[in-house]
Amino acid sequence: MEQWSEQRPSEEFYRVLDPDGEVVSEPPDVEEETLRRLYRTMVESRLFDEKTLSMQRRGEVSIIARSTGEEAVSTGSAAALAEGDWCFPSYRQTPAGLYWGARKDRGVAALMGAEPETIEEHLPLEGEPPVNFTPIYVPLAVNVTNAVGSAMTDRFRGDDVVSMSYIGDGSTSQGDFHEALNFAGVFEAPAVTICQNNQWAISVPAHRQTATETFAEKAAAHGVPHERVDGNDVLAVYERSRAAVEQARQGGGPSFIEAVTYRMVEHNTADEESIYRDADEREYWEEKDPIDRFETYLLDQGVLEPNEPDDLREELRDEIQAAVNRAREVPVSDPETMFENHLHDSTWKREHQRAELRAERRGENPFTDFTGEGLQ
Amino acid sequence: MTSQVAPDEGQATEEMNMVTAVNETLRQEMDRDESVRLMGYDVGPIGGVYRATEGLIEDFGEDRVIDTPLSENGILGTAVGMAMRGSRIVPEIQFMGFFYPAFGQFMYTLVKMYERSGGALEVPMTVRMPYSGGIKSSEYHSESTETFLVHTPGCRVVVPSTPAETKGLLAASIRNDDPVFFLEPKKIYRVGTESVPTEDYTLPLDQARYVRRGEDITVYAWGAMVRHAKTAADAVDADVEIVDLRTLSPLDVETILESVKKTGRAVVLHEARRTLGLGAEISALINEYALDHLHAPIKRATGYDVHFPGHQTEDAYMPDEQRAQYAIEAVMDYEF
Repeated sequence: MEQWSEQRPSEEFYRVLDPDGEVVSEPPDVEEETLRRLYRTMVESRLFDEKTLSMQRRGEVSIIARSTGEEAVSTGSAAALAEGDWCFPSYRQTPAGLYWGARKDRGVAALMGAEPETIEEHLPLEGEPPVNFTPIYVPLAVNVTNAVGSAMTDRFRGDDVVSMSYIGDGSTSQGDFHEALNFAGVFEAPAVTICQNNQWAISVPAHRQTATETFAEKAAAHGVPHERVDGNDVLAVYERSRAAVEQARQGGGPSFIEAVTYRMVEHNTADEESIYRDADEREYWEEKDPIDRFETYLLDQGVLEPNEPDDLREELRDEIQAAVNRAREVPVSDPETMFENHLHDSTWKREHQRAELRAERRGENPFTDFTGEGLQ
Repeated sequence: MTSQVAPDEGQATEEMNMVTAVNETLRQEMDRDESVRLMGYDVGPIGGVYRATEGLIEDFGEDRVIDTPLSENGILGTAVGMAMRGSRIVPEIQFMGFFYPAFGQFMYTLVKMYERSGGALEVPMTVRMPYSGGIKSSEYHSESTETFLVHTPGCRVVVPSTPAETKGLLAASIRNDDPVFFLEPKKIYRVGTESVPTEDYTLPLDQARYVRRGEDITVYAWGAMVRHAKTAADAVDADVEIVDLRTLSPLDVETILESVKKTGRAVVLHEARRTLGLGAEISALINEYALDHLHAPIKRATGYDVHFPGHQTEDAYMPDEQRAQYAIEAVMDYEF
């Protein structure tokens, strides 16, 4: 099936800018400030990926999953949210957080393995973030169900808050995806679900995930309006996400958006992609790079001055380096933090085991309690 | 600690069985706090297959008593999202044996959200599940698989044994900010009534209670097994102490050890399969911290390591007063 070539998926989708940055349908009315912020976010994410990859290569970070080449999807969709909304990301939506001012130093510290309590202690958040972000979900599709529950709460309370969540092409095979969209449909929940279809779920190509022609149409089974957009065109993603968010906020219920993109890089730094896909596939997609396309458009429109792309990259590299430096200052997490935040109250076992760990780390024998009254 | 629910003189009480206690508590908590919502399959007009939510949708509306699609994982997964946003959500899983499709949400989000968010996102949820056997329902409706829950950090597990206990423990569970699994032993849903205080009240979620005091042997039990422990205690020629654990997680280790250090003998009575049932943990705790006090090995009077059997053989599987009595007598007769 031509349609299902990972190299050349169907281009029957909504697109504003073609790969050369030429306008092919009426551009949405977007303020210049927002256009610049969209661009900045994508570049920032790309450079953040580059930096953390180099840290991974040096052994400072154990593993990363890059958003490289897919930046337009979560940039354009998250930008459609408003203050007070909720976002439930998976692990390839770095730009979503960056758009809303997520702290890069905290992100790097987390990648370096710091416990959340340690990060909060040494790099504390100041004030409430404009959009609420959950921790990044690693198990797939379970975030969609939580996001729909979040949206159900707003519907029942009558609050005009929108909950957005992300999955990949592979995750649409999970039960949680269907259960979540079914609940969203039944309860008319203000939930917008974005499918970041990057053609590959580790080594398994999109055509092995489903026999449907598109991922978008899966939502039809749940009575959820759906749309397919060019995921490398940030204006297309932004416009359709904005419509979906607006509909949800007005009480119009959930939406599902398939954004067609491509994983330009390995699944994560433990992956070896040469085993399962050809390098020439990447060449086809490099020409569709979401940042190049948008940059061309913004330069053509005079939104960006000719010197700005280079200047911005230099500014962002410095910012990222400063964030990395701050993250490196965070001390290694105290092992005892592992006992924190399981239940609100202390328990006998927690205190007992904490004391055992403390003794062990002092070089003392932790197994000397034969009465339950504490270490001897 | 000893914490019997004994109405004070002159205090208003009502005769309730366990189901009416659940129903009344849900009603009081929903009246008390508008963020409390119920959800689940059949919880609406029919009031649940055991009628525990009967009449509540009429009084609180379908935005607070939410009949859901038939999907346990969908129920638990959306409930987590609702709880993260401040709904004090009380999902019902129709039978504990139907819980397993929800295991993904349980392991990935329900027990981990608070920890993964560094304490920033709470999941104030009470998952009600009718559990255990003894009413000839059927194999998938009768299991006691609390071990899965107790083995997992980040949640509480509570099992009431009387109507008055049910009211105080359920109210405390709903008001607690941790995820709580509230396992309702359906065999004693409608077995007898007792005077339950009309006013709302809570019981602690980390303390066992002494059902009766004794000097010779301790029987640890919970839920429907507490009744069998009492009957057996009356039948044997020994001074039996009975500890109703009430909260299986966190365990009240202090009371467990306090009792056995006094009596020197212990029997654990539970419906769940024996291997890695909670009896194994209690036995291990006593071994680690009270071995010096023992006059006899610990015995576990439990279900067998089999799948829950069908109607005709159910009684042979279930621990009862006879099995409890045998275990007590064997331990009492033992000499080192």
